[in-house]
Amino acid sequence: MPQNKIDELLKHDVSWLLDSGHDGDIAISSRIRLARNIQGLPFPIAASPAELEQVQAAAEMALKKSEVIGKKYIDFHMADYTEVERQILLERRLISNEFVKKDQHTSLFVKQDESCAVMINEEDHLRIQTLCPGLQLMKVWEQINKLDSELEESLPYAYDSKLGYLTSCPTNVGTGMRASVMLHLPGLVLSGKINAAIQGVNKLGLAVRGIFGEGTDNRGNLFQISNQSTLGESEPQIIERLNTVITQIISHEKSCRNTLLADKKYFLLDHVGRSYGILRHAYTLSSEEALNSLSDLRIGVDMDMFNSVDLHTVNKLFLTINPAHLQKFAQKELSSQERDIFRAAYVRKQLKDADHKN
Amino acid sequence: MLCDICKKREATIHIQEIVNNSKKAMHLCSECALKKSQNDPSFDFGGFNLAEMLYNISESQGGIPGLTMPQKTAESPDKETSTLKCPSCNWTLKALRQTGRVGCPECYNVFREVIDNALENMHRGKLHVGKKPGTKGPDTTSAKMLELMNLQKELDEVIQREEYEKAAELRDKIRSLKNKITPKKNIKKNAAK
Repeated sequence: MPQNKIDELLKHDVSWLLDSGHDGDIAISSRIRLARNIQGLPFPIAASPAELEQVQAAAEMALKKSEVIGKKYIDFHMADYTEVERQILLERRLISNEFVKKDQHTSLFVKQDESCAVMINEEDHLRIQTLCPGLQLMKVWEQINKLDSELEESLPYAYDSKLGYLTSCPTNVGTGMRASVMLHLPGLVLSGKINAAIQGVNKLGLAVRGIFGEGTDNRGNLFQISNQSTLGESEPQIIERLNTVITQIISHEKSCRNTLLADKKYFLLDHVGRSYGILRHAYTLSSEEALNSLSDLRIGVDMDMFNSVDLHTVNKLFLTINPAHLQKFAQKELSSQERDIFRAAYVRKQLKDADHKN
Repeated sequence: MLCDICKKREATIHIQEIVNNSKKAMHLCSECALKKSQNDPSFDFGGFNLAEMLYNISESQGGIPGLTMPQKTAESPDKETSTLKCPSCNWTLKALRQTGRVGCPECYNVFREVIDNALENMHRGKLHVGKKPGTKGPDTTSAKMLELMNLQKELDEVIQREEYEKAAELRDKIRSLKNKITPKKNIKKNAAK
């Protein structure tokens, strides 16, 4: 039954939320996505239902043979799920916004630990994605490269010797690769240096976005830096460039935090303490307030302020306070107000439980 | 109103700057605005990244600088290319202009010229140099890449500690490793010298 598959997914630990070690509170996760299409068939935008089904069947067969995907995976036929259920997948970063609304002849293959996910018939026939905690772009590349080569054995990819892998949108042609890292940059934000940093990154040909939408939305002090160009450079070159810039940003962020700690220690402690207080005791909690408070909690964890709260708790909350997840836990649809109440109760309980364990 | 820079395209971005009672106005089309913000460091909106904004907005509307055109112009395309249509999937030039997308792999041959012009704006090169099907990826072994990244991280730390001699050593190591990874490029560089 479709319902059980979402439950199934929620049961297992999400690999990219696990402790990412060194600099884990700044670089939260690394992600690479590859766009691939099957030769001889139109892209989803121009394909007939029969052709889309052909793609689905061929892709599913190839995925089931993959060693990287392995035996523990879950496959979703998007048409079988409600929009709220698809929102859960979006919140877990397994599908894109476009995919939530596309329910004809679309499927999703997810490895149980959610480190790998493949969308079938989104903008391209296949959108392969791999996630790792922390800053580990090379590791992600090795995994996804292997999966890509495996799939290629059963699926003849659309490829041009000059333009590389052919995609529905020319902005993805060539490597078809979008590599990105999610960063937590409260130091830069609080020091007023984030805009200069973003502009610097943009000048190097990389895109910076808030992770909840486009442009300069910086809720939760979270940002995603990714490559814009996919053609004219090899995959390792793109990764190297991204890695170099991100390493510098991380170093910049650390020095901002150190300065803040040196000059405004009590301001910081107070800021974090108050946010923890809100999360622990509030009875209504909007999504925005929760995200911003979680950002402060993350800083607190970095500063070793807490006995009971660790990165894993923060990361888990970060995922579960989202609207579709909450409605799933509540097992019914909730209005915006009801969600705020439920969210507050959920967070209070999670933090209380974490406290008791220690 | 036409763009102040190219004087060809319709200006869709109107910028007014008021500094100490003096007013300055600029009217740009999205392509020129994008180019200007990428090339001119003084072109800034108090923190707002115009390039980012444009790129994202145009992306979300399916628009791509240099490739798609606003609705009005798309309905009256160039006379010579107006009959251009992909024999494989029936995608038209008009559809390409409106959505920024192509219908099938064959479209890349049919609309080659149009796409080729746009590629310059979108990417860092026009030729694919990455993974080819049938290979396990570029020859560069990930081990070398990993080493390269570690060296760069070390260099960063060493510079912060102001150990410049060590930094110079690392810089040379990085250089030689890079040459090992992409030897062809190195030859071209030396030839230019």
